[in-house]
Amino acid sequence: MVNKFGQMKIQQMSFMLLAVFLFFSLVGMIIITVKMSELRNSATELERQNAMLLATKLASSPEFSCGDVYGTPKTDCVDLDKVMMLKENINKYSNFWGSSNIEIMRIYPKNKTITECNSTNYPNCNYIKLLDKSLSGYDASNFVALCRKEKDKGETVTKCEMGKIIIRYEEAK
Amino acid sequence: MKNKKGAMEFSFGWIFAIIAGIFILSLAIYGVIKFINIERESQDAQTAKDIGVLMNPLESSFESIKRTMITTPSETRIYTNCSNKTFFGTQTIRVSYGEWSAGGTNVYFQNKYVFSENPVEGRSFYLFSRPFELPFKVGDLIYLTSTRDKYCFKDAPDAIEEEIEALRGLEESESENLFLENSIDGCPEGSINVCFNSVSGCKIKVFTNYKYVEKNGKRMYYQDDSLMYAAIFSNKEDYECQIDRLMKRTEQLAQIYEDKSKFILKKTGCNSGLSVSLIQLANDARAVVNSDSIGLIYSLSDDINRQNDYSECNLW
Repeated sequence: MVNKFGQMKIQQMSFMLLAVFLFFSLVGMIIITVKMSELRNSATELERQNAMLLATKLASSPEFSCGDVYGTPKTDCVDLDKVMMLKENINKYSNFWGSSNIEIMRIYPKNKTITECNSTNYPNCNYIKLLDKSLSGYDASNFVALCRKEKDKGETVTKCEMGKIIIRYEEAK
Repeated sequence: MKNKKGAMEFSFGWIFAIIAGIFILSLAIYGVIKFINIERESQDAQTAKDIGVLMNPLESSFESIKRTMITTPSETRIYTNCSNKTFFGTQTIRVSYGEWSAGGTNVYFQNKYVFSENPVEGRSFYLFSRPFELPFKVGDLIYLTSTRDKYCFKDAPDAIEEEIEALRGLEESESENLFLENSIDGCPEGSINVCFNSVSGCKIKVFTNYKYVEKNGKRMYYQDDSLMYAAIFSNKEDYECQIDRLMKRTEQLAQIYEDKSKFILKKTGCNSGLSVSLIQLANDARAVVNSDSIGLIYSLSDDINRQNDYSECNLW
């Protein structure tokens, strides 16, 4: 009888302890989930900020900028001839600008279809995909001038069109 | 006998409760400590990433120099490290608040070149950048200083004086950390004295004729002002590592310009005549492993720049 009473008490205590343990574990898990979600949000926000600032400043990067090639120095001017050469060496730059995809699109003169540029169809194309990582997320873009050298009536001329740089970034998982 | 059994049962219950209690409490304490550490590390990592993101606007287009200030909520140490093991090398930024632990999360950047003391400590920091050209723009060098570290430039050449005056702006702020003086006596108390072409009483000596900066008894060679500032604000190890990273990028850019030269020639018939020189530049950049040999590449760079200026079809 005494033994059974003692066992009951121990059982009661174990259940109580288990309940307390489970309760605190549950509270802990809720706190961790909330914190993780906050952390994910701030990581995504940082990626968004980074993409936005990168989009505004990428045209000044030496791999993209026009420099003095097309007359006077220009801000937000992308040297398309140079970018096409960068595209051929892009494997070395895979993580250079962080975990983002970089695309350049000509928006004026407008084309009905999107034609990706390669060494054979350039400059009769309107879209350059520089980095093609499997990202699903958001994008930030900036309007730029897309300039290149062209042959016109036997002379080398500068041709600039309107385009935009698109930076795609992934939502933090 | 009965009493003894009762005492046994009572003590077992208590022992069980104590052991289980200790287990639960230690688990809870461990969890809380771990949670606080993770929180602190995530905050440090977030700030480090924030600083990196804030450095994006310092990428210059054709303006020469600009300065920005960042302020942290509490006393902060910023650790910057350079590694040249990967293709373009990496710039690491690590931030530590309050408790100066060796831990913390490193945030990596491949496209940034930061020159600073390691670590820099304070609540407010100045960042300014300058383009590095060889002869085309290779990157922007970012200089990070704490407002607490006052740099006093003595007998600086006119061009440097003008630049520092431009950085200081018209109104002198309380947090100003760059000063220009003609004698050390005029420098603020406790300032880091940067002397040009003189040998005594200065922590940092700049010899403009021989183009080197002497800091902590070590020489760092430079060729242009952007590298001179880099040597003043950083240490020998980081400076040499960043030179190596910059040379790797120069090599890659020379390759891109060489490809562009051939591409334009094929497309338009316009010849830049720079292909051979650019291959030479890429090879020379590959050969530079530290600042001692940087002078050689600059003379080639000057030649290439002249060729580009007079070229039928300039490349940059």
